[in-house]
Amino acid sequence: METNREDFGIAIRSAFLDKGTKQRFSLFVLIILSIIFLFAETIETKPLNYLRSFIKDTIYRGSLVVSIPFKNFNNIFENINKHMNLYNNYNKLKVENDELKNNISKSDFLELENAQLRKLIEEQVSSLSNLVSARIMLDKQSPYLNSLIINIGSNKNIKNGMAVLDGKNFIGRIVDVNFFSSRILLVADLNSKIPVISEPSAHHAILTGHGKNALSLEYLPENHNIKDGDKVYTSGKEGIFSPGIPVGIVKIEKNIVTVSLFSDLSQITFVNVDLEGLEKDR
Amino acid sequence: MTYNYKQIKFRFFELLPLLLLFFISLNGNSIIGLKYFSINIHYILVYYWVLRQPRSLGYGFIFLSGIISDVVFGLPLGINALSLLVIAGTAAYIRVVTVRVTLINDWISFIPALLIANFVYFLSLYFSNYSVDYLFLLKNSVFTFIFYPILWAIFSLILNLTKS
Repeated sequence: METNREDFGIAIRSAFLDKGTKQRFSLFVLIILSIIFLFAETIETKPLNYLRSFIKDTIYRGSLVVSIPFKNFNNIFENINKHMNLYNNYNKLKVENDELKNNISKSDFLELENAQLRKLIEEQVSSLSNLVSARIMLDKQSPYLNSLIINIGSNKNIKNGMAVLDGKNFIGRIVDVNFFSSRILLVADLNSKIPVISEPSAHHAILTGHGKNALSLEYLPENHNIKDGDKVYTSGKEGIFSPGIPVGIVKIEKNIVTVSLFSDLSQITFVNVDLEGLEKDR
Repeated sequence: MTYNYKQIKFRFFELLPLLLLFFISLNGNSIIGLKYFSINIHYILVYYWVLRQPRSLGYGFIFLSGIISDVVFGLPLGINALSLLVIAGTAAYIRVVTVRVTLINDWISFIPALLIANFVYFLSLYFSNYSVDYLFLLKNSVFTFIFYPILWAIFSLILNLTKS
């Protein structure tokens, strides 16, 4: 029995403490180093933040270079697919175009009516002019984090918590800022919780991401009257994001309130970062 | 010193595990997600080479590759590095205590390696306040285990090429 225990100890020592052939570090040292890295992540000091930013910026650039051949291959594959579906798409677009033509006159009238009503209630229409554009550098989807990397960071005054839009639609918020890059946490991520308001039912709720599954509205009042097709906007509660940024449309299936986003998160190339939060800070 | 074709081929196949390790970390392919399942090829790669030919994959490189994966996936630095080192540690231990190398031995001993590594992964994510999709983690572990023999066969082929 004692020999067995001794053997086990020798095997563990040999595996974790001894340096093998051509090994510069023992496993034990590297495991300790990893744990130190993990703890260091919780410490927020300027030198550590600079070091983290430098490491991340460098790795993002490396990742960008390595993924170029794959991106090109995907583009070729997509182009071939597009050519194959050309005729079907043409027919679909023709029908869509006819429908849109009919809707144009309707929307012109609604816009006019909307402007008149806003004037009537003397609402100050806040414009989203304080936007800065960025390009998506990397879109490596991790199973634990639905995020995107953009090519601007603290060099363009980006800060954590800022809202990120695809056109005018809300898609996520900044969670990590480096010198020349930032990470966007998409609304679909498990960790994403956004205060929103539904229109026209006017209920406040929290929009929660579920990874690959559809987003859901949580903390709705019990007797809510949300209907299929209601629009969802950021509520601006807690002052985190500007109010009224379009997010998505409500879909009710088997009494479960889900939200379908206005933007397709897999098809984004450029985004706008809303600097309004920054202005508020100043 | 001139290199002939055989030497270049030998060097290439010897470096292939290392190149693969860094390629999958930088390209964000550590976890291949298909429609109904996903496989963690990073774990299989590290486990196989540390078990069969440790000189091909230095522990330092495994650590670095884990750090790169953490950055690419947006996880706190150290999570992937730690779980990969746990896999490497288990493989090193199995290498010390086993004499015969067979697929079945490798495959069965991969179970504790996977369990310990995923437990460390889960704990690190949990204490870093990251939401964890438990079902995904479970499915990923099961399918990584199921697909081990396929990658084992491919890596064995590469290993034979470095020896021949």
